[in-house]
Amino acid sequence: MFGLFDDAGFTRVRSTVVPGFRFKKESTRNAAEGYGVKAVLFTALKPA
Amino acid sequence: MTDPSLVDAQEPLEGVIKDEVFRMYQEVADHPENEFHFFHGRAAAEMFGYDADWLARAPAGALASFAGVGNPHERSALQPGETVVDLGAGAGLDGIIASWQVGPTGRVIGIDLNPAMCLKAQAHAAETGSTVECHEGRMEEIPLPDETADVVLSNGVINLSFRKRRVIKEIFRVLKPGGRISITDIVSARQLSQSIVNDPKLWAS
Repeated sequence: MFGLFDDAGFTRVRSTVVPGFRFKKESTRNAAEGYGVKAVLFTALKPA
Repeated sequence: MTDPSLVDAQEPLEGVIKDEVFRMYQEVADHPENEFHFFHGRAAAEMFGYDADWLARAPAGALASFAGVGNPHERSALQPGETVVDLGAGAGLDGIIASWQVGPTGRVIGIDLNPAMCLKAQAHAAETGSTVECHEGRMEEIPLPDETADVVLSNGVINLSFRKRRVIKEIFRVLKPGGRISITDIVSARQLSQSIVNDPKLWAS
């Protein structure tokens, strides 16, 4: 998704992993971990 | 760039997933006591570091149905008088918190696929004496004019779309020049298997 913000024209795109995010259901959590699923906070600017 | 023929081939699946997203988040709003794949409600908001004062002031219904994946307010730096778009308003918690920050001279506009969620978000905001206007609409076609917002917030919603590139272009369009985003969402380091992509319940969660 980071690249999509760049492609759309955003600048100063920053991302930070959300600490502590996890799925509640164990089977979903295990599958998500296998795919490297994370929650991320994105910030970016539209040029003035 | 997504192959247009692939998108066309996925249109029936996209419709099924849209229906499942609609159904699942309606269930979170109507029956927050139920169990879901994800954490929700106060437990989720506390997990993501929402300010304790906000949670104390928040309407019970908005907090119980919160289904975000992080805290977009952490770096939003909202200022009094700003116009904020909350993409995927849900039961309204993030929009209400935004309204407290932009104050009476600001404006918070929620967008949600589900008109019933819009009504809930507006009613919850009214409980706190604040105003959140909410528009029914799809994030792939945000029902707002160009250059409306100073800030776009979103929490765990863009990942639900089959057309993420389109969503992000729409966010860019509705932002004023110099505007900013603060968005929390789910990303995957690896391409999800087709069995997951084809499973509306997993996609919606």
